[in-house]
Amino acid sequence: MKRAVRQVALIALPLLIAGCAPAAVTTEGRATHDAYNIFLIAAAVVFGVVTIWLLWSVVAYRRRNDELPTQIEGSNKLELLWTAIPLALVLFLFVITVRTQHTVLSDPPSRVTIDVIAFQWSWQFDYEGSDLQVVGGPNNVPEMVVPVGVPIHIKLRSADVVHSFYVPRALFKRQAIPGTTNEFDMNFQRVGLYHGQCAQFCGLSHADMLFRVKVVSQDQFDRFLTSGRGGAPTGGGT
Amino acid sequence: MATTELGVPEVEAGGHPRGGLVEWMTTVDHKKIGILYIFTSLAIFLLAGIFALVVRAELARPALGVVSEGGYNELFTMHGTMMIFLFANQVSTGLANYFVPLQIGAADVAFPRLNAMSYWLYLFGSLMVLSGFLTAGGAASAGWTGYPPLSDSQFLQGRGMDLWTMGLAIVGIASIAGALNLVVTIFNSRVPGMTMFRLPLFTWGVLVTQLMILFAFPPLTAALAMLFLDRNFGATFFNPAVGGSPLLWQHVFWFFGHPEVYIVIFPAFGIISEVIPVFARKPIFGYRSMVFAFFAIFSLSFGVWAHHMFTTGQVYLPWFSLMSFLIAVPTGIKVWNWLATMWRGSITFTTSMLYALGFILVFVIGGITGVFVASPPIDFAVNDTYYVVAHFHYVMGMALLFALLAGAFFWFPKMTGRFLSERLGKIGFWTLFVAVNLTFFPMYLLGLRGMPRRIARYQPDLGWNGLNALSTLGSFLVGVALLLFVWNVWRSLRKPRTAPDDPWGGNSLEWVTTSPPPHHNFHQMPQIISGRPAFDLRTGAVRVAPSGEGPFDYRRGQT
Amino acid sequence: MSDDAALLLRVSVFGLVAGTVYWFLSYEPLGTVALLLLGVGPGFAGLFIMWHRRGEDRRTGSLPETLRVFAGLPKEDPPGPRSLESQDVAVLPLPSIWPFAASLGLAVALSGFIFGLWLVILGLGVALYSGWGWIAAVMRENRYGRVQPVDQVAEEPAAGRDETGARRR
Repeated sequence: MKRAVRQVALIALPLLIAGCAPAAVTTEGRATHDAYNIFLIAAAVVFGVVTIWLLWSVVAYRRRNDELPTQIEGSNKLELLWTAIPLALVLFLFVITVRTQHTVLSDPPSRVTIDVIAFQWSWQFDYEGSDLQVVGGPNNVPEMVVPVGVPIHIKLRSADVVHSFYVPRALFKRQAIPGTTNEFDMNFQRVGLYHGQCAQFCGLSHADMLFRVKVVSQDQFDRFLTSGRGGAPTGGGT
Repeated sequence: MATTELGVPEVEAGGHPRGGLVEWMTTVDHKKIGILYIFTSLAIFLLAGIFALVVRAELARPALGVVSEGGYNELFTMHGTMMIFLFANQVSTGLANYFVPLQIGAADVAFPRLNAMSYWLYLFGSLMVLSGFLTAGGAASAGWTGYPPLSDSQFLQGRGMDLWTMGLAIVGIASIAGALNLVVTIFNSRVPGMTMFRLPLFTWGVLVTQLMILFAFPPLTAALAMLFLDRNFGATFFNPAVGGSPLLWQHVFWFFGHPEVYIVIFPAFGIISEVIPVFARKPIFGYRSMVFAFFAIFSLSFGVWAHHMFTTGQVYLPWFSLMSFLIAVPTGIKVWNWLATMWRGSITFTTSMLYALGFILVFVIGGITGVFVASPPIDFAVNDTYYVVAHFHYVMGMALLFALLAGAFFWFPKMTGRFLSERLGKIGFWTLFVAVNLTFFPMYLLGLRGMPRRIARYQPDLGWNGLNALSTLGSFLVGVALLLFVWNVWRSLRKPRTAPDDPWGGNSLEWVTTSPPPHHNFHQMPQIISGRPAFDLRTGAVRVAPSGEGPFDYRRGQT
Repeated sequence: MSDDAALLLRVSVFGLVAGTVYWFLSYEPLGTVALLLLGVGPGFAGLFIMWHRRGEDRRTGSLPETLRVFAGLPKEDPPGPRSLESQDVAVLPLPSIWPFAASLGLAVALSGFIFGLWLVILGLGVALYSGWGWIAAVMRENRYGRVQPVDQVAEEPAAGRDETGARRR
């Protein structure tokens, strides 16, 4: 029995510790993170039930003699039970999902719109309403400067193959598909510099297709827009 | 002209070639064909595993440069392609080929020559896919999912992609033909008394798998044909510049791709449903539920494909999310039934049973994380990261592997007349169990921390270093454990034949015949009165019909 | 009527009916002609076969029996070698090189789309030859039976190897 408990701990504890994701920095990301935590609790419960049941059987029902155990073939009641309870659980998780999705995919009015163009193997950020353009290249990780606390509207396109715009701390990514424009919003709640990377395999230098999101105060952003400073060099070579 | 006992003229009787290569090249015996499938897929598995080790070696440190960038892309592409198309589907086909006719009391499959052709097409298709390595441009390198436009000719020139496309199409044709064969066999060649609801669950699993293959593989073949035409004949199915759509590929591919993962795992479910009742000395709990669960998952699996496309922003999220959540319910039902089978049983911990228990644990972990990604918001965060890599390696890499090893230790005596070493097997089990968890669990964390898939290098300041190193360590330990298994097989094949007909106290018909079975499968056939014919024979509920009586007389002319 | 005539006539009826319906739905000439031709061609062939085989079997000449065959319902007494019927014996084909050869031909032919037309022709040649051999084997078995007598199947393995092909000590 001690062995069983040790084995459960061996499996369950790392799972729980591990499961926690780093804190999100956007309102959408926070909604996702909250949903994730609920899922994690449900997962731990289910996993706990399975593991305990399994380990208990392993310990309690080892073969001790040649007697054949009762040859029970099934139980309709149990089948119903373990259909209904998991069904209720997944429907609950689906409801959580729908509500979270509503926040994540909401379309608030935004004053900042950025055209993001993904290409092999970097990014171009065009700020609508100004001539400002940030282009990345082989040794030049482009920075997307955005103001804190307001929804940023992004129009994502691709110049060649399928890429994916991924900001891990925002808990969000969206594919850039040639021939389509994907639009979404991000509302950064914390000033800082956040890593971004292409998340859809796009060829030889896919691993190097990095970018950064620089979240700054509204004043700094306004200055950036007018002077082009505070971000990566503009018009950089491809 | 000499005649047989039945008075029909005998043509070529007894004159067929014996020995060596020619025997294997001309065989139409389902048992030999099954062995061919198993050994070929095992070889491909080991090669694909080596590719994985190179990938893991590359990722052990942020920017090692063990292989070139292009080489790395070929390695992970071919690893995935080989593991899924050329190993997972095929080793299960091999086991199905060997055991389904035995389990239903038939002498062979319905179309033995077509069966052989399926194997040879698989072999030649695999060689074609692999021959990409010999071309100037290298093997295919667009990922096992081959998304255009990247996989199209303007971005990836060279024959590797074409060989990949054509080779997989050939393997697909082999699978479709094999599926037809097994479905007809299961419906038509059952021995009298073997009704559908007396079939062993392995056979049910194989049946549903083949039905899924019949619906899922033609779309794949179509997608591959379209890609081939785009690449070589100026078609523009996927070229957005002239009215095509890259999204089309994703839809058609994943319409195949999602049922495919159930095609991969259903035979494994079947194996577990055979192994646990035998070593718990109880019948499977909820037999009919298990059958219905197979069909429920089958139906749902064709309605969830776009959960692989949540991040495209172009699919209807609520439907695919709901269906993906629902599919967890029948899958869970199977787990509850396996656990209930063990409850109040009398359990022996053979290596086979250990692997079955390990299967339940790792499958539940992998399956639970599948429920996580059924939620679009969560999927937006973890799709295309190592979280997903961990998820599918838990269900396909670990659970499938454990089920196959459970089946190997269970059925090796039947197939060869010898036992695999239980001692080596148990050492191997514990080594493998620790190793696979060490390899793949850190990947969940890496995904949550933002590490994308299919990259050869990563930034050293993102907190991914330690976990990657740990994972690489685990992967080499996996290699050791698998070598241990290969050595176990090698050693055991040289031992004398000591295995009896029924070493474990089995339930299904294969345990009624000798180990290995004779050419025509059965010298004698008991009356079938339940879903456990070997059990009934052992407990005296039925007896074997002596030669000359009963519905079947195997001595008089049946081969 | 025979099975092949029935099959052809089914296709023919489909073509004629579909063609007619299609015309009144679309008034599009090309598709209509195509469907009607689908009706006429096989129909002609099927009727020819029926006429050619008239009088072969009195029993199948009656109208109910003809319609039965046309609808594809199974015959009352399936044909087969008399001896096999009474024995309820399964029959298996003998070992054959044709699956291997046909696969090789098909794979080579398809690889020709990558490497060159000559391979397509070569592969198709091999595949067609294998198809011929395969069908010949099937026809031979249908005529003569394909039973492999138990006694004559060499149960002793080739020298030095056991039944699984593993080397014996």
